[in-house]
Amino acid sequence: MADNAADVAEDYRQALEDLTVNSRIEIATLTNIARENANHGLEIAEVLQNHIKKVPPSRTLPALYVLDSVVKNVPTPYALYFGPKLYSIFMGAYTKVDNATRRKMDEMLKTWKEPVPGSISTKPVFPIEQVRPIENALMAARNAAFAAHQSSFQGQQQLLRGRAPVPSRDTPTPPTARPYQPPLQGQPPFPGPNGQYPDAVPQQQPYAIRPANGPGVIPHRATPQPVGSLPPYQAPAARDVYGTPQPGISVDKLKDNIQQLIVAVKAEFAQDPLDTSKQTRLKALLDLQTIIQSQEMPQDQLMIVRDQIAEIAVNMRSQPQPRPAVTAAPGVAAATAPHPAHAGIPYTTTPTPPVVSQQPTPVPPAAFAAVAAALGRPPSAAAAPPPAAGGGGVSIDSLFGKGALATLIAGAARKSATPQQIPTPTPPPAVPQPAPAVVPLRSPPPQRLVEPAQPAGVPSTNPSALLAMLRQSGLIGPSATEPSASAVPGLSPAARFPPAGTAHLPDTSLQLKPSSLKIFRPQLIAQLHEDLGPPCTQCGRRFKTDDEGRRKKTAHMDWHFRVHQRITEAEKRGQHRSWYVDELDWIRSREAIDTDYVAPQDLSFSSPDFPLDGISGTAGSSAAAAAAGGRGTSSSPSGKSQQSQQPYLAVPEDSSRVNNTCPICQEKFEMKWLDEAQEWVWTDAVKVGDRVYHGSCHREAAGSMQHRPTPERVLGKRKAEDDAGGQRGKLKVEGY
Amino acid sequence: MSIPGLGEIAPQPSPSTTRTITLRPFWEWRFQVPRSSSGPGVSVRLLSGTAERDGTELALNHNYTFARTKSKILTYTGCSLEVSGEVEDYVAQCAAPEDTPMLSYLNLHFTLQTQRRSSSGGRGRGPRVMICGPHNTGKTTLARTLAALATRMGEQPLVANVDPREGLLSLPGTVSAAVFGTIMDVEEPTGGFGVSSTPCSGPSLVPVKLPMVYYYGREKVEEDMPLWKDLVTKLASSVRAKLSSDDAVRSGGLVLDTPAVTAVKGEVEILLHAVREFAVNIVVVLGSAGLNASLQTILENEKTTYGEPITVVLLDKSDGVAERDRDFMKFLREAAIKEYFFGDSKRTLSPFTQSVGFDDVVIFKAPDEPDLYNSHQTLESAEITAEMSHWTLAVMNASVNDPPETIQQAPVLGFVAVADVDEDRRRLKILSPVSGRLGNRPLVWGRWPEPYINLLG
Repeated sequence: MADNAADVAEDYRQALEDLTVNSRIEIATLTNIARENANHGLEIAEVLQNHIKKVPPSRTLPALYVLDSVVKNVPTPYALYFGPKLYSIFMGAYTKVDNATRRKMDEMLKTWKEPVPGSISTKPVFPIEQVRPIENALMAARNAAFAAHQSSFQGQQQLLRGRAPVPSRDTPTPPTARPYQPPLQGQPPFPGPNGQYPDAVPQQQPYAIRPANGPGVIPHRATPQPVGSLPPYQAPAARDVYGTPQPGISVDKLKDNIQQLIVAVKAEFAQDPLDTSKQTRLKALLDLQTIIQSQEMPQDQLMIVRDQIAEIAVNMRSQPQPRPAVTAAPGVAAATAPHPAHAGIPYTTTPTPPVVSQQPTPVPPAAFAAVAAALGRPPSAAAAPPPAAGGGGVSIDSLFGKGALATLIAGAARKSATPQQIPTPTPPPAVPQPAPAVVPLRSPPPQRLVEPAQPAGVPSTNPSALLAMLRQSGLIGPSATEPSASAVPGLSPAARFPPAGTAHLPDTSLQLKPSSLKIFRPQLIAQLHEDLGPPCTQCGRRFKTDDEGRRKKTAHMDWHFRVHQRITEAEKRGQHRSWYVDELDWIRSREAIDTDYVAPQDLSFSSPDFPLDGISGTAGSSAAAAAAGGRGTSSSPSGKSQQSQQPYLAVPEDSSRVNNTCPICQEKFEMKWLDEAQEWVWTDAVKVGDRVYHGSCHREAAGSMQHRPTPERVLGKRKAEDDAGGQRGKLKVEGY
Repeated sequence: MSIPGLGEIAPQPSPSTTRTITLRPFWEWRFQVPRSSSGPGVSVRLLSGTAERDGTELALNHNYTFARTKSKILTYTGCSLEVSGEVEDYVAQCAAPEDTPMLSYLNLHFTLQTQRRSSSGGRGRGPRVMICGPHNTGKTTLARTLAALATRMGEQPLVANVDPREGLLSLPGTVSAAVFGTIMDVEEPTGGFGVSSTPCSGPSLVPVKLPMVYYYGREKVEEDMPLWKDLVTKLASSVRAKLSSDDAVRSGGLVLDTPAVTAVKGEVEILLHAVREFAVNIVVVLGSAGLNASLQTILENEKTTYGEPITVVLLDKSDGVAERDRDFMKFLREAAIKEYFFGDSKRTLSPFTQSVGFDDVVIFKAPDEPDLYNSHQTLESAEITAEMSHWTLAVMNASVNDPPETIQQAPVLGFVAVADVDEDRRRLKILSPVSGRLGNRPLVWGRWPEPYINLLG
């Protein structure tokens, strides 16, 4: 039996999916649908909310306009439904959109505090205490950015103009690249002076309803939104921006953090210019910044840098710094309050020290680092061009310890995949052994011998002398490695271990007997380490230094690079576990070493006697693929060829410039997320000249006799889909 | 996801918890992360030297985080580690390499490696090793170590597990196999054998492994020996096909992990079945002289299907094998189920929930009244009741119209969890890793592992 509410919600969701541009008509239609189905309001509200949450940034604004329109035209029940979630919806969207959209959102937010134009009701669209947390959060964000601005350019005339030209960096869409908004323009008037919020005390709950703030206004929902449903960025302040076990490190974030530190250190330095330690630190940071910005670094190097940066930040925080409140006060307020909603700093027209003088709060010692941390993206330090890396006595080494710079540069060099630049096997750092009796088990590769740490030049051709030495040092038992040539059945050691060295310890024959297995053969250790070549700095896998090894290592590093690149994207999109494969696919699959694993496609679905219409997941119908006669293997080349058979078209960047309905059947293209392509696609679409058609329509119209590459079912138009129950892939519920 | 002003440095863990541990060759740093620990686990960084977890080498100066696990870091050359975080640990010292069983394991690896090398020239068969022994002897760890060491030297060993108690790249209650040609996930609680290492829709920092999985649905082999034997046979035939079609894998050989058995006759039978099905030519017995003796006598006169003699070798178990009590095992199972759907700390997965009518899914289960005299029991159609809530069902790679025996022995496509059963409206809420209707895929409701109450809680 069809579930009515679910159907309505489903239809609404689909209608929303089709909303790609800011079309008044479509928004009006969506509003009307919402009005007519007000009895299913809760479901619709939820659908809309989810939609806003997951649409790509370019389509967020139309979706928000739908919300706006629905709420203004059908306040009951929708204002009630959206009200409690308003903060999370709005802020979630705000963080992902670009600046132009943000301005539009600011304007929209402004209208929410007023009654609906032309309505009899004098009540605002949303009660003030639902809008205010948003305003406060935005305010705090701006203030923090502003404070950064101020502290880094303190004393410079630039600052007084209030709108310093922000040098652009090559990071993608830095939020601060947005011109610093002149306060009275596009900025909702802030209701009242700073003192209005006496409770600017850190609180965890962003919109726990505080009686002091909303006297007389009865909140629509008495229960505050559970914290768990908040978007991650407003998790409690204890959330560690560095220490979370995220495998990948965003270089951008690191750059930002360094930038912040630089700003902070600079200010500190400005305050006490005679302190050479600060000078040193500043210089080192600037050097580091240059390196990071100019070179690609492997993750583990970044990790080191990141950790160091975090440490410095913490150190700075712990240094009691009697700071004048002049520079950082607004930022401090923003940063120290765990939630920005409480940083009620008025936004005044002249962003100059007078602002600060209103706020003579004693600055806690932690403030400084906190400021640095709180800044999203302070303006780039173009004011002080970083000196050349590694110059002078003060350098990264002084900051991070000896050799750090070398490591960084070496790492960066290694990263670049040209074979010439692969360094000669650097001798791994010697094991610092406190006890003199212990000899590092490390031998130069040409000699398969364990020798005590001694000058490399010492000839060690006499095995028995060596043995004696080893025995003396307690590394090997008294008689375990005594020559016993009799115990060599069949296999000669030289046959197994290529004769790389001159001296072999005798009795290396391994037998599957407990007694034989218990004999220590030191030369074997090297086979697992040095003999395999130097390890990959990221995962520890070793690669030989011969041509083959170098080729493999290049492929390997490329693989790391690709994965890091794709992972950041994938994280935004959400991932899911794939199905396992069936026997045939498994048997045919080959280990994908340093190539990307490509799940078997379900696109080659063509066996009529295997009617598994259900599973449309990544690896879902690989069984059918196999059953269909062996096209479906999981190796990547064939995966790609299958993919190319599929008539789909990536959704054009600017869909307003392309027809989004098929000129033949006048139906819209169905937009779908295609896992294989990792992007939104129009299914069954082909582009002919400038126009896009349904593949099927075009073929029919053109009278083409070519085979349909795929049968009806696969990612077809909606009408071709077996849609009974309407559940295919449409009930994705986020937030578990 | 941050807008200006919304990020902040959280306090770093106080430096006092960070310490440096120096290990000499063949020493081990054994640790367990308390389950109660709220933190992210223990963070380990290799400062110098070389070190490895179960055969997989750690990269220098790379932070590894270990959560909810009992494990060890071993060094063959000496190393120093920097450790921070909440952890119970100690350093296992040894006066000489000969004092630790790790040496035998290492030598065992090189013995196998010799066989692999001598076989790959003639595209021959690599060693097929079975590891067996009583509970808590480190079977799986040894299997993992041997696989990792082989992978490290460029081999592509096949690893199979026929112990339903722990899943290999799968949930418990299954038997499975996979090729390990790429580095394992050191940080994963089960060191790369966990369900986290299986393919997802997105990219993965550690290369994924693709398993072949069959569903047993019970904890112990004895509970349904005929089915277990059938599945092992099925798995073995897949493995054989794999070995014969892939030269690299064939010369890499097989590492087989088995259920814990003692020298009792009935239990030895389990191992013999596996030995014969997988054509095992090396049997490693861990820490049980009795088992070793009985296997020796039986296998002495047997040859593999390829006519090779079967070697049985007894090795000591490590004294560091962590006792894993029932609670811990249950905890691991639940964590595996959760990870299957939601990913781990490194990667968040978003499963899909869907609501389906009772009539839109076909669920099978083993009969309630096991017929002890009929050796082969098959599946029957299960009635959907509220009892099914929170169970994890296997999605079989078969058609609902297939005979029950076929379904029972079909490969597993994946798992779904029943989030809710609405008997009045006759609808099920199902949590599935992949979107899409389950339409024609039969689901099988096993008897184990027990439902995981908090999956959606």
